[in-house]
Amino acid sequence: MVTDIIDSERALGYLLVAPVVLLLLALVAYPFFVAVGYALTDRTLADSGVFIGLENFELLWENQIYRQTLRNTFIFTVGSVTLRLVLGVGLALLLNESFRFRRAVRAAILLPWIVPTVLGTMAWLWMFNPNFSVLNYILVQTGLMTHGFNWLTNPDLALFSVLLVNAWRGVPFMAITVLAGLQAIPQDLYDASSIDGAGKFQRFRYVTLPLVMPVLLTALVLSIIWTFSDFGIVYGLTKGGPMNATHVLATLSYQTGLASGNIGEGAAISLTMLPVLLVLIIWQLRRIRRSTTM
Amino acid sequence: MIQDRSQPRMTRRRILASAAAVPAVGALATPAIAQGTLKGTKLTVLAGQWYVPETNTMLDQLAAELGRDTGMDIKIERFAGDELMTKTAAVIGSGRGADLAVGVEFDTYVYAAKLNDVTDLADEIGRTYGGWLDAAKATSVVGGRWKSLPIGQAPAAWNWRTDMFRAAGVDKFPDTFAGLLDAAKKLHAKGTPIGMTLGHASGDGRSTNYPVLWAFGGKEFEADGKTVAINSPGTLAAVEWYKEIYQYFIPGTTAWLDPDNNQAFLAGKVSATVNVNTIYLASRAAAATDPARKNIVDNMEHGQWPSGPAGRFACYNINVWLPFAASPNKAGQREFLKAWYSRAFLPKWTKTGQSYFIPQLAGFDAEDVWPSDPKLKIFKDLNKLNRLPGYAGPPSPAAAEAVNKYILVDMFAKACTGQLTPRDAVAWAEKEYQQIVRRRTRT
Repeated sequence: MVTDIIDSERALGYLLVAPVVLLLLALVAYPFFVAVGYALTDRTLADSGVFIGLENFELLWENQIYRQTLRNTFIFTVGSVTLRLVLGVGLALLLNESFRFRRAVRAAILLPWIVPTVLGTMAWLWMFNPNFSVLNYILVQTGLMTHGFNWLTNPDLALFSVLLVNAWRGVPFMAITVLAGLQAIPQDLYDASSIDGAGKFQRFRYVTLPLVMPVLLTALVLSIIWTFSDFGIVYGLTKGGPMNATHVLATLSYQTGLASGNIGEGAAISLTMLPVLLVLIIWQLRRIRRSTTM
Repeated sequence: MIQDRSQPRMTRRRILASAAAVPAVGALATPAIAQGTLKGTKLTVLAGQWYVPETNTMLDQLAAELGRDTGMDIKIERFAGDELMTKTAAVIGSGRGADLAVGVEFDTYVYAAKLNDVTDLADEIGRTYGGWLDAAKATSVVGGRWKSLPIGQAPAAWNWRTDMFRAAGVDKFPDTFAGLLDAAKKLHAKGTPIGMTLGHASGDGRSTNYPVLWAFGGKEFEADGKTVAINSPGTLAAVEWYKEIYQYFIPGTTAWLDPDNNQAFLAGKVSATVNVNTIYLASRAAAATDPARKNIVDNMEHGQWPSGPAGRFACYNINVWLPFAASPNKAGQREFLKAWYSRAFLPKWTKTGQSYFIPQLAGFDAEDVWPSDPKLKIFKDLNKLNRLPGYAGPPSPAAAEAVNKYILVDMFAKACTGQLTPRDAVAWAEKEYQQIVRRRTRT
């Protein structure tokens, strides 16, 4: 019997993949379906609740704080990922050049990514502090401004501030990933294109960009997923304030589901992220499959 | 950590002996569980970090002594800030992980179905210490039964700089809201503004803003706890007063989290703010080596909330013991609670906190628990003022959700910053309250 399984390539394949499937079912699929189930009930922490269909979602849509949070989350994600992309690619191109202390600089660039989120957030909290901001101190002392910025006080600026910290944390990942892609490009291609008369921009446009694109897209999709579901930076800096100007879906879900004990509604809020993330994940998986079958 | 070596070591025998010496203690003095029957059992207690470190040490000592004397394996698990709330929610949800926890004012209502009935213990404690204050009953009695035991409340006072007020021509802390507005104008003109937390600060956001609402006659709910009553002339008057005084605040208060008002006061950036006694205690502890802190100690006082058209109110953070119903060690739970409320422990723990957390027990007025420091004397009176969010209803899950979502804080902030007119800000809050109630009452 055992030898039959080992001899059968198909059966052995299923056997070998079974541990991973079981692990995914237990750690990913089960919590996910539990969350979907909760979102369709009025469950609270102290009461298992009853099935209410899509009522949680209907009530959420009528709620101003939820709609504001949805808007914030999209601005936060698009803004942060754009900054990550521009700064990350720029940094990668710089780090790909030869200069003194290149290795040390490459290591230092990773610091925001390595530092625990809470620690980094605390440092930024001081820099944005309404009354003791070191950034404002510098701006005022150098004569550039008379009062400094209301980093976390002005609702629009507060959203930009949390977005900036998220981008600061994510740029190293983007830069290092793109740098790895850049270093995998054979020098021959650059030499050949130079001989053909390609200038610096053309070499970037026709050699670098197409070859680094697969890595760039992977980093981009991961960045979108991570930013869309970010909790720590917003919670640490503002707890969603002022006046809910920085609430994102993850912080509102926490506030509703855990702090207020409204598990069903909290689950519904977090599931709002699902369609967007699902589209991204399916697209990414299809792309990976296509590239591996090519 | 500072430990008072002059105090006799607390042991279970001493706790019981001390308790037995007071006839009124009743069952609290009697070991309901025969020595040894708890041997080998486990008791996990979830706690946070109280700001007065010695009070945490005393909890650890109590657990160690009780464990030694009963043979019970008692473990205190500590969590910082909101982590305790998350852990408690996880224990409630799963029915596993702990037997007791330090909770806050709304937890009893939110988790009532998952908590043990401790009415008999509450009655004994009440008899021992002259009866519970109303705020304690409002917090812990759900459906006529005590489902938690109040640990105490942390009175928030106006911390104010006497030197800065004097320099602005204000000799004492204002006793009316009109007086406070006038003082704020003068202090702002002198470059020493006041500051009230209008950000998403879980503690200060509540203790700073609810008293304003109540003082002008506003309230969130009717007595049934379901009818939203926020849209009223009283609320509008409170919002309009806030909008006016906000222009004389230090900039940035809409972004203030819990530590920010402490930091601003300690740095001399604000002349007054609402806080518990920890600004003063921290300054006093550092005064011997830090001249700046000594200056604060010498030039600060604590004042009570001004009186408004509807009266004088305050809103304090409350801690309670949550006895989890899913606990397999109910006997151990009760034994721990008896030790906590014993005469040998509770008054001493209260005195150590120097009016940081004060049990809501009427008899404590006559107990030797009040600090001798004249600058802390006011807290004895402040202890009687507390009113709970949700008024005129109970501190229900709907009231808790409104607090957790900072609806009242944001109502004031939206009007103060000009995002909405006062009338629109009140209407916005009313809609949010109505939606909360609708969600909470649909079943």
